[in-house]
Amino acid sequence: MTDLNCDAIQARLQACTSKEATFKELVSLSKQLKRLTDADKIEENKVKGCESAVWLVEHQNNGLCTFQADSDAKLMRGVLMVILSLVNGHSKAELQQRDLIAELSEFNLSSYLTSSRTNGVLGILKQIQANDPSNL
Amino acid sequence: MAFDANRLREQFPILKLEANDHPLVYLDNAATTQKPQAVLDALIAYYTTSNANVHRGAHYLSDRATTQFEQARDRVAHFINAEQADHVIWTKGTTESINLVAYGLEWCLKPDDEILITSLEHHANLVPWQQLAFRTGARLRVLPLTSKGEWEPEYERYFNEHTRIFACTQISNAIGVKTPIKEMLAAAKAVNAFTLVDGAQAVAHYPIDVQDLDCDFYVFSGHKMYGPTGIGVLYGKPHALEVLTPVQTGGEMVRHVTYNSTEFNVLPYRLEAGTPHIEGVIGLAAACDFLTSQDREEMVQWEQRLARYVYDELKFNTAIEIYSPASDTTVVSLSVPGIHTMDLNGYLDSQGVAVRAGSHCAHPLMAQLGVSSTLRASFACYNTLSEARRFCDVLLEAIEILGDD
Ligand SMILES: Cc1ncc(COP(=O)(O)O)c(C=O)c1O
Repeated sequence: MTDLNCDAIQARLQACTSKEATFKELVSLSKQLKRLTDADKIEENKVKGCESAVWLVEHQNNGLCTFQADSDAKLMRGVLMVILSLVNGHSKAELQQRDLIAELSEFNLSSYLTSSRTNGVLGILKQIQANDPSNL
Repeated sequence: MAFDANRLREQFPILKLEANDHPLVYLDNAATTQKPQAVLDALIAYYTTSNANVHRGAHYLSDRATTQFEQARDRVAHFINAEQADHVIWTKGTTESINLVAYGLEWCLKPDDEILITSLEHHANLVPWQQLAFRTGARLRVLPLTSKGEWEPEYERYFNEHTRIFACTQISNAIGVKTPIKEMLAAAKAVNAFTLVDGAQAVAHYPIDVQDLDCDFYVFSGHKMYGPTGIGVLYGKPHALEVLTPVQTGGEMVRHVTYNSTEFNVLPYRLEAGTPHIEGVIGLAAACDFLTSQDREEMVQWEQRLARYVYDELKFNTAIEIYSPASDTTVVSLSVPGIHTMDLNGYLDSQGVAVRAGSHCAHPLMAQLGVSSTLRASFACYNTLSEARRFCDVLLEAIEILGDD
């Protein structure tokens, strides 16, 4: 998951001028998401409050975070690709400083983010910024 | 004259909108309906000619507002064939109506009593009863209706000497099936239970006659029957309304107050504390007038025909599972195993087609159906055959785009 290029993803999404184009781009992005194994898709890894199921797994290496995520919905997997491209390879302290919602809003995904209260994107970002007790 | 949806839709200005660069196809009517010009006009007219508080100061505008407000109660009472206007209590919707009853009847429940609902309920007709059961030690029991709304004679045993309250929906919001409401009400009455019918999904489609149903309470929301949001109705038989403890107290619902005591007002005011949703009430009466001015029989046949069209178009498609009945419904609720309903919904939305993907506030029913969510297309009087066709076409496109891995 080192080849996630946040700028390239941003450019592709910003080039979308219709909801249909954005939909298709997210579906296409979703295909690049490395899926989690069933062993990782367990209740503890589930992000609460998402309409589709979302699992988030965190690893830390030399103080840098790597997240893996998965969902049973493709659009959500596309959104997860975007989120992972923003947050992977950074330290927890740095992630906690950043306004991830504002950064996400640069990706021309507003209609997917306005429903974030129900689709759980906010919960995902919160969990990414939270201290992972298993890494303390 | 045949029912003409194309002409009727002219009365709904919002339907001329585009959504995501496509003509809007609004098939989320079970969530809320759009409003005809007559309802919009009634709201504007109220604020431009009659706005004042009701039942209070004797002045010109207050008289006008009060008259319109109470006339609206007459019209709504007439709409559901209530015996008297006083039997109509204004609430903010179905949910509030059910809660008023669930709290208002708390005094009559004790441990070992039973509250009976069915397996087809919206959370609004489940959680208030469950919480009432928690508060009182009564038992919540669930009559297992099938997704076809079938009633088995053996279900009689669910109605017994412990049953204090029976609450049931007339039509399932999630899958559009009718419940055997009359048989169940008869069984509930035979054991002297209070009866409540959730009419939220029925009022827009079928003429309602509360005297014929003979239930103690009938509840519905204005926004699902072409009226405004934030207004709904709790109808009750007089003896049933009389025994409800008022959940909310304050102004308007009292006759005389001292620091030591309060004498409550008579019905309906006793159950309507505070300044009511006056323009909502007036808009709801306009929605009733809109409906009664239609040929109701032809209207619902049209809506059912649209659902039937979708059902017939999709029923042989092996990718699709349909949970709604083939006939006698205005809803098609379905899923496509292997494709998330949120994804289907995302594509439909990108093409201007508004439906609902989710659990429809009916988690236990979803579990019974073995799915976590369904995609629901729900029809109203202004929908057309070409919209029904467009829904099918776009759904099949979505399956093609999303089904490739
Ligand atoms: C059958 C049923 N009951 C209750 C409700 C709740 O209605 P409201 O949200 O207007 O209170 C709904 C709304 O979806 C419904 O469909």
